[in-house]
Parts: sequence; C-alpha cells; structure tokens
Amino acid sequence: MSGGELATPFRQRAGGALKDAFLQEALTIATTKFIGLRQEAFEGFPEGEALRDQARAIKEATLQQLDRHLETLIGNVERLGGHVHYAATPAEARAIVVDIARRTGARMAVKSKSMATEEIHLNEALEAAGITPVETDLGEYIIQLAHERPSHIIAPAIHKTKGQVAELFSRELKRPAEADPEALTRIARGELREKFLQADLGITGANFAVADTGTIVLVTNEGNGRMVTSLPRVHVTVMGVEKVVPSLTDLMVFLAILAKSATGQKLSVYTSLIQGPRRAGELEGPEEFHLVLLDGGRIAQIGGPLREALSCLRCGACLNVCPVYRQIGGHAYGYTYPGPIGILLTAMLEGAPAVKDLAHASTLCGACADACPVRIDIPRMLIDLRREVDEKRIAPWTERVAFKLLARLLQHPRLYRFAARAGRVLQRPFASDGRISRLPLFFGEWTRTRDLPPVAPRTFQERWASDKDLRT
Amino acid sequence: MTTKAEFLGGIREQMKRTLGRFAASSARRPEHPAAEAETIRRELAERWPETLDAFRREFESVGGVFHKVASVDAVPAVVSRIAREHDASELVAWHSAALGADLGPALAARGLDVHQMPDAEPIGVAERERLRAIAARADLGLTGVDLAIAETGTLVLVSGAGRPRSTSLLPPCHIAVFDRTALVESLRQVGVVLEAWHGDGAPPAAGAVINFITGPSRTADIELTLTRGVHGPREVHAIFVEQGIGG
Repeated sequence: MSGGELATPFRQRAGGALKDAFLQEALTIATTKFIGLRQEAFEGFPEGEALRDQARAIKEATLQQLDRHLETLIGNVERLGGHVHYAATPAEARAIVVDIARRTGARMAVKSKSMATEEIHLNEALEAAGITPVETDLGEYIIQLAHERPSHIIAPAIHKTKGQVAELFSRELKRPAEADPEALTRIARGELREKFLQADLGITGANFAVADTGTIVLVTNEGNGRMVTSLPRVHVTVMGVEKVVPSLTDLMVFLAILAKSATGQKLSVYTSLIQGPRRAGELEGPEEFHLVLLDGGRIAQIGGPLREALSCLRCGACLNVCPVYRQIGGHAYGYTYPGPIGILLTAMLEGAPAVKDLAHASTLCGACADACPVRIDIPRMLIDLRREVDEKRIAPWTERVAFKLLARLLQHPRLYRFAARAGRVLQRPFASDGRISRLPLFFGEWTRTRDLPPVAPRTFQERWASDKDLRT
Repeated sequence: MTTKAEFLGGIREQMKRTLGRFAASSARRPEHPAAEAETIRRELAERWPETLDAFRREFESVGGVFHKVASVDAVPAVVSRIAREHDASELVAWHSAALGADLGPALAARGLDVHQMPDAEPIGVAERERLRAIAARADLGLTGVDLAIAETGTLVLVSGAGRPRSTSLLPPCHIAVFDRTALVESLRQVGVVLEAWHGDGAPPAAGAVINFITGPSRTADIELTLTRGVHGPREVHAIFVEQGIGG
C-alpha cells in the first residue's frame, strides 16, 4: 500500500462509505459523542486554553532543537541499559524489529495500540518472519481478527456492531459469543490474558518520550500498555522522532490536555512512565528494552511545508469535528491516518501523489484547527497541498486547466465582467428554478453532487456601476 | 542500516533550512524541584481536608470506590469486607516495607490467603515465574500509593523492590492504601514532584516505572459501550488512613 496507488479511487471508497447505512449511523453517534465529551472536559477546565498555547509552544521549541533533544534522549536510554535503533524508512524499522524478535527467540509478540507500527505495517513483516503479532487493545484485536484496518485513531473498531463482533469471535475463537459488549469484553480479556503471560516480546508505540529522563510515556485506558511493558522478556518501542519532549514538566502540560481532547477524560486510566528495562529488585519488567526512532518522511518536513503537522498528538479530535470524516469514516481515506490531520500525515509519509484526491477531501471549514489541542493550522496546509499537487502536475490536467483559467479570470476585472456576461447567456440551457444542477463535459464533476448558483440577472458590479448616481 | 550519525545529521540538515515558525520555549522547569516539592507538601499539610474531598469526588467520578478509616488497624476489616463481597480469598500484597505497615497477619486472621511480595530480587527464573503466577490468579491486589492527585482522582504508584507492577494490574480488584502525605492538588504539582524525584530529591522507590492509575481499566471499543475491567482491574478501591499509615 505504501507509496503506490490504491486499488480503488478515493471517490469510489467514499461513495461506498456513504451507502453503508450502519457505518453512517455509527459515525454520527461516535463523533457526536466524542465532540460532546471533549467540550464538557474543556468547559470545566478554564486553564485549558493557556495550556493549549503552551503545548503548541513546547512542540515548536522542541523542533527548533530536535537534534539536541534526541541526543539527550538517546544518551539517557542507553545509560539506563536500553538500546536505540535508527530507521530512515518503514522497511528499515520493520527489519530492526524482526531482527530483535529473531535474536531473542520470540515466537509471539503482544502489541499495545500504536499508530507508528500500523504505519510501517509491522504485523505483516512479523508474520512473514514466523512471529505471531497479537493486538491487545480491544478495538485493534477486533479488527486484527477481522483482517481490517483501524477506522478511527482512538476508536479503531467503531465501524463494527456488537453483532458483527460476536459473529467474528465465535468464528475466529471457536467459542459461543453473545452480542453483548460486556460479555464480548470478558471473552477478549480471557483470550488476551493468556497471550500477555506467554508472549516473549512486547511492542508499543509512544505517546511521548522525555529526553531529560529517557522515559517512554504510554497512555491507555485498558491497561494493555502496562501488560505489554511488564510481562514479556523484551520490550520494543517504535516511535516517530517528533514524539520527544524536553522534560517531565513539559510532559505534564500535554497530559493535562491529551485525554480531554481525545475522550473527554481528565486523564486516561493508565499513564505509564517507563524508564528503561527492569531494575534490580523488580519482579517484572523486560530484561531488554529497545527504542526504534522512526523517520519515514518526518525529518524532511522539519524544514518543509508540513512542519506543523509534526506537533500532532494523535488524539483524534480533528476527525470527530470534520464534516468529511463524519460522512465517510476512516477507511475511505485509504491510509493509516484518517481525517484532516491524516491527509497531512499521509502526504508526509507517502508523498504528495498519495493525496491528490485526499487534499480536496476537506471543506476548509476550520473546525479541525479549532479542535486541535496544539492548534495545528490544518486548513492552511491543506491549501498548500492542493497547490503542490497542482504545481507538480499530479492533479489531472482538466483540473489544472480549469483552475488556471479561473485564476486568470479573477485577476483581470475586464475579463471577469465579460465572463459574467457570457456566463449569463451560456447558462440558459442549464439553469432552472434559480440553480444549475447539471453542467456539460467535465464541468459536470462540479454539479454531480451539488448545485451551482447561476450568474445573477444583474451582477453586483453592474448594480454598483449603475446606481452610482443614487449614492452621494 | 542507518547509523546514529547519519540519522541526526539528516535532522541537522533540515534544521538549517528553517528558524522555525515562531519564537517558542519549552516549559520552565523548577530550579530547585526538591525544595519546591517540599513547599507544596508543607502548604498542603494545612489544607489537606479540602484536597482529600476533591480527590474523593474525582476518584468516585472515574469509578473508584473510596473508603476512610481512622487508623491503619482498621484497614484489614475493610479489605476483608471487599473480599467477602467478591467471594474472594486470595490476596497478593506489596511488601510490608513498601506498604508502610505489616497487614499480613491481621489479613490472614480474617481468613485471607495472603501472598506478600518479596522486597529483594527473587532468586532465579523459577521463583519469578512462581510469584507472577500468584499475581495472575489472585483475586485482590493490595498496594500503597505514592501520590494521590485531587485534580484527576489519580493514584500514582512507583515500581520497585517489594512493589511489583502486577499487584495493581493482574488481580480483578485493586485496593490501594494511602494517607495525607500522598495528596497533591494538581497535575502541575505532580510535575514538580516528578522533577524532584528525578533531580535533587529522592524517589519513593528505585523501579523503572511510574504508573498513573485513574479508575478501573475501561474500554468503549464495542459500540462505545463503557465496559470495565478489560485487561486491568474491574474495581479500584482507595482506603484513606486518617492518622497516617506509619503512626
């Protein structure tokens, strides 16, 4: 999937999602609920706005000295007895993890939810190497059993009904399962508890890494992050380089806003600050700890147009408020990261060609920028991306010609006035009831899903010119 | 394979291309965190009842069960009542030195099957496996608390010798015992305390993990239905000891 074209075009994927009645209902319920919970959380938290500003500043300040902070982090992780690896590409990251698994004789790996390992398609690589990866976040477990991909950053299986999950469990786990979330959760607890206790390898991402102390920070609600980092012999963290924060003081700023933005909780149930492998006297914890620092396209954006997207906390708030995501859900985007921020991250990780359609899957309404805990200006970067796919001739020629002509028209008043007059004549066969519902040729793309207002009988410019005498 | 030098070199190349989007600085770290943490503690010594009320409110709102007892001698009665409610008998506990009190005999006298975790490194793999199996089958896990955060209803537990990570994780019911010395008001104060533990102050234990626990384990991954106890405990109890655990 990485780099190349997807099998079905975006329009078709989105169309499929729009026709899926259950998905439509599930999306509306989930996103509306998340929006409400987030609003409530911030309403009761007056210092939230100032903390959001501070969080944004910390992310920017960290990027300005990223080399130094990473060096500090690396130094501390190694001082604590951990090993640090460097992955320029997803392929390199996969090879590093597979190599660790092989070397330590691991046959099964338990994973806590990690977008970074989704992004590098780690599970396929582990399977190919004969190591069984087990997703342990309930939502991720469900979609792994179903051989699907997450549809929401923090609620990966919102597209599934309890009935579908029950069916899936009885088929895959070969045991009766009733369509009740409580009962299904109990089944998953039993199944996964065994795996936690058996697995040799625990694989996680990182919500943050504190440079100053060499601490990896994991945030979960289920407790699977704690299991994965406490019980297996070896722990591997795969982490994008942008996740580093300078100090524990900085960390607390992010913890104060992350869960509120994601699920409306004041804090998620479990926040684990993990400083290297097991220490003397400890009963649990891994003997070995590995940190894999992942580039995968991030580093090129430090000085690039998508720099601001490196501040993303992966909270999912922008998905919930996005009028496009709310209609089509995560799968239609076609890549690991859905929603408004997902388009930017896809461009960052897969290159601009991957988003030639997705760059337009936004109304530019700005709801995402409002919801973002670190105030990432997503619409601005989406506009830049649209320009880039145009300038690099990635967009179809019809689109490029149409926009070029439009740009000309808008820059030349005389041409504009002429076009308005011409449009008034040319639109006659197409306009009815005060709207244009169908245009010919490729212009029809525009009116396929929406109406175009016709040129007014008298344009504003004409009224302005002729009424001049009436204004004194 | 990419080396550290190549990797960081690539980052430095990119950094040269921009001065950043705006002038920004990270959060101001306390200069003398241990002293500041001490000040926080001193100030809280006067207003702990309000802090405890706030903690209780938040802890209960995330699904925790709060208990208050006068002295540490009353803790075993609460624990055995919880055990009876669950028809449970097997309890795994932090070492008495980590708990601050030796509750083992009193709990055993009330019919509980108590497994106290050792406070020194267990000998060999077999012993480690045996102790882990106990934690995995126990009904109740009894721990202390290093910080109780009023703002969020959170219990903070530092791992270490005699304080296994699994005690608060594997049993379906977690019982934590604390007193006013653990109370802090806010996440900001926690930041100061964490800096102190890391810097010029002493951490409560020398383990590799600091766990923040805010209520029982939960998920809403199936149709957004809130379900407790998916991997960690279904229930979390906090027992506050008014006169202090040590005295």
